[in-house]
Amino acid sequence: MDERLEKALEFSNYALTINNQKRNIRNRVAQLQIVHHLGGVFIADHETIAFIKALIDLKHKSSIVIDNKNNPITVKSLQGLLEKLVDAYTSATTEFDIENEKLKKARNIKKIMDW
Amino acid sequence: MSNILKQRGVCFFAYNNEQLDYVKMAVVAGKYVKENLQLPVCLLTDEGSATWLEESHSKELINEAFDYIVITKDEMKSNPRRHYDSPWAEFSAQFNNSNKHKIYEYSPFEQTLLLDIDYIVKTDTLLKYFDGKHPVCMFDNALTIKNELPAQQERFLYDAGIKMWWSTVVYFDRSEFSKMFFDTWAHVADNYEFYQYLYNFPSNLFRTDYCVSIAVHILGGMQDYQTGIGNFDNTSLVNMGQKDDVIETHGLNEWILLAHDRKEEWKNILVKVDKQDIHVMNKRALSRILPKLLEAFDG
Repeated sequence: MDERLEKALEFSNYALTINNQKRNIRNRVAQLQIVHHLGGVFIADHETIAFIKALIDLKHKSSIVIDNKNNPITVKSLQGLLEKLVDAYTSATTEFDIENEKLKKARNIKKIMDW
Repeated sequence: MSNILKQRGVCFFAYNNEQLDYVKMAVVAGKYVKENLQLPVCLLTDEGSATWLEESHSKELINEAFDYIVITKDEMKSNPRRHYDSPWAEFSAQFNNSNKHKIYEYSPFEQTLLLDIDYIVKTDTLLKYFDGKHPVCMFDNALTIKNELPAQQERFLYDAGIKMWWSTVVYFDRSEFSKMFFDTWAHVADNYEFYQYLYNFPSNLFRTDYCVSIAVHILGGMQDYQTGIGNFDNTSLVNMGQKDDVIETHGLNEWILLAHDRKEEWKNILVKVDKQDIHVMNKRALSRILPKLLEAFDG
């Protein structure tokens, strides 16, 4: 086989593998960002965290919040929800960072697989 | 067994056939549950498989994996299933699944997570659904280990048909709604040929995925709308297909898999699966790694 094509195919295989691993990590992170609170489902993302924090800053202690499934949830302690969201966000992003750093250093398929 | 139901737990059905040692797979799947969910485990099996379990495993190992063993005496329908082990090997074996809806009757738990023995729990993600608001939860979408959607026939009952729900992982409680869901599932199973005609799904294999999909459709008013049935927050069931393979395992959680290409089956990529629950549909591949996994539990 032409050496140029062989190298290109090898790289394309590497790209396929690393992109798949990145998607695996993103799926895992998305799962870690799901927070169940008082029967509601919230995603620990920037928007939700900032919104709950804004309510707290405006001196609200409790509020009705629309969850990710479009249901109204009576949140008695906004501070409690905020803490749960920040915890979930922090553990998700920490794991994301660790796995992402490993992948960034992996220059071939063997390294991606940790072999 | 006491009449008082235990609060929370996990159940597995396992009926051996001449090709596959389901109870051995259940031992390993049960140990993964203990490791990652810390819940009691109940095995539902028949007399023959239970005897084989006792003959082939130490009492200590059986007790580590299962808190309860329930012997069922249901008559199974003939249900030959074609299995693949990579794209290059295939075999056929009887698949005993026609009593799966009876889990509502058999489970010793108030809140039950019913798992297939090829569903390996490597995270604690499923725990949060015991505190959720849905009386029944199942996956309604899946991904391959290449993060692709499964084949069309694994997503819909037929090309213009209803969405497929997976009975691989079923969470349920003891509410009226759950009872109604399992009664509907039983009704569909009892009238399988009629519903095959109505919903136009393939007829060669009795699949509980079809039964639950139709039950969800009926309970949702024959619309794409569900009340009471959760879909695990829209997350996906991750399927290692029958034509994929396990290359190597490191410890309990780090598995290196070979993912095949559906169109060009000789093309594979490697996939590392770590902190991810996984449905290992290639049962021969799972059987091959069982001894190493049991060793890793001991280590």
